[in-house]
Amino acid sequence: MKSEFLRTSVGSKLFDAGNIALMLAFGCIMIYPFLNLLALSFNDGIDAARGGIYLFPRKLSLSAYELLFQNHKMLEGLMWSVLRVVVGTSLCLFATGLLAYLVNIRHFSGKRLLRILFFVTMYFNGGFFPAYLLMLKLGLTNSFQVYWLPSLFNVYFMLLIASYIQNQPEALFESARIDGAGEFRVYWRIVIPICMPVFAAVSVYLAVSHWNSWFDVVLYNPSGDYDTLQVYLRRLLLEMEGLQQIQDQQMLYNKFRDLSPLTLRAATTIIVTVPILLVYPFLQKYFIGGITLGSVKG
Amino acid sequence: MQNLMRRIVRERQIWIMAVPMIAWVLVFSYYPMYGMIISFQNYVPGNSFFSGDWVGFAHFERFFSSPDFLQVMRNTLAMSGLNILFGLPAPLILALLLNELRNKTFKRVTQTLSYIPYFISWVVVASILFTLLGSDGLLNRLLLDFGMIKDPISFLGEGKYFWTIITASNIWKDIGFNSIIYLSALASIDRELLDAGKVDGISRFGTVWHIYLPGIRTTIILLWILGIGGILNAGFEQQLLLGSPTTSDYSEVVDTYVYKYGVQLGYYSFASAVNLLKAVVSVVLVLSMNRIAKKLFDTSIV
Repeated sequence: MKSEFLRTSVGSKLFDAGNIALMLAFGCIMIYPFLNLLALSFNDGIDAARGGIYLFPRKLSLSAYELLFQNHKMLEGLMWSVLRVVVGTSLCLFATGLLAYLVNIRHFSGKRLLRILFFVTMYFNGGFFPAYLLMLKLGLTNSFQVYWLPSLFNVYFMLLIASYIQNQPEALFESARIDGAGEFRVYWRIVIPICMPVFAAVSVYLAVSHWNSWFDVVLYNPSGDYDTLQVYLRRLLLEMEGLQQIQDQQMLYNKFRDLSPLTLRAATTIIVTVPILLVYPFLQKYFIGGITLGSVKG
Repeated sequence: MQNLMRRIVRERQIWIMAVPMIAWVLVFSYYPMYGMIISFQNYVPGNSFFSGDWVGFAHFERFFSSPDFLQVMRNTLAMSGLNILFGLPAPLILALLLNELRNKTFKRVTQTLSYIPYFISWVVVASILFTLLGSDGLLNRLLLDFGMIKDPISFLGEGKYFWTIITASNIWKDIGFNSIIYLSALASIDRELLDAGKVDGISRFGTVWHIYLPGIRTTIILLWILGIGGILNAGFEQQLLLGSPTTSDYSEVVDTYVYKYGVQLGYYSFASAVNLLKAVVSVVLVLSMNRIAKKLFDTSIV
């Protein structure tokens, strides 16, 4: 009896050791690409082209970042990205929250109509192509408006916020109404403050998705006047174009002689990734809550 | 009728806010659906959606009879099939392994690392892949150093590697995030069952096989059913970003095909027809898979 206990315990310990090793390897696979790019981005470009840079820069150089932060296209991209995140997130949050509140007003005769109109679109959406034709028709292509207007209301987040509002005591809203507050005032003064937790969670998600958007920029803003940072990075990926961009602008300066497309690309990728990592603690705090909230909404 | 009018007047405050919302959803969600009518016409850009000549199902027939059809369907089904085959069990295995870790701090750190790729854009993933898989990238260097190849391989330039690269990067990106749902299902398993198992002297593997897996069976089957519902969504951005003219035989999926014909080449009606076909089949699949899930478990995920 005792020997059998010992045997299973040895097997169990072996499994633990193997499992820890496996999970360590797994963690490395998840994080290594970023560390590799980080090392490359701080390395001298000519030296990096020799290869063999894995975890640490071999010949330290900041010129990739120096060039990028002097490059007009990259700074413009950064500006449009930030503008898009700020405008897109705040407007969508405000509008979607208001919608979630309206469908929760008990005595409102249109709440079923609103709910159904929006809910159906969760299943039936024509994909990107009919939307593209619509943007052409409305003349919204090559404008900043496509960054916030088509995504002004988000049905999934509406359901999330609506279920949060539903769990609040109705008396809160009712007492404000008795005091003579209009519905918009109730939303602004009461709903928004008490829904802060869910608003915060949703806003982090919206911000990340706006920051990460790439395809809609390519689709709706082909002129290049509103290129975001993701589009700028994509340009650099097409190596020839990337090289030309450098040469045209600043490669002639001796100062940037030690650049290569590889390090430039790495530095741009890091610049695009860092904001995500900055909000990552918030993302992590909220997304487990988001998933559980989402699963009870039915 | 008069009653309703009186109600609306009384609620005008709310209606003033609701009307723009209704207008928005009609314009941005319903009008595009109506716009799909051009699939049955020869639509001239700029005109109204009803002004084109009616051609019936001509565009659909053209798509079915073109050699592209089989290739596009093959690529779409292959990539999403691989994604279901490997991308669905991978997070489950990760969740089971994480669940066995005794050190809670180590478990938390590993989990934290595992979600990171989920939140970065496909452009960044593409950049990573260009760096790792390029001719002087890490993978080629390793293979060369170990003498497994003589010349560097252009992984992203050859079609035969494309599906593998897409599947692997999908798994890398989503595995951590998708494991959360399994982990929370595992956490909700009755502790008494586990204690009873211990009293009976059940082994660790036995615990996984007889308690954990049956305990989260519903979650597993539900996710797989819903995965099949989305089989026509083989991804989009990843194919556009990683595909190139040399790999297009393997990278062209329905969505990129629509993009190519509709946006780049300007065949609006043809692209719209292909898009409509996909949309209809997708909705039917999703709804019927939902119905199956409902029948099996009396739960619906909407």
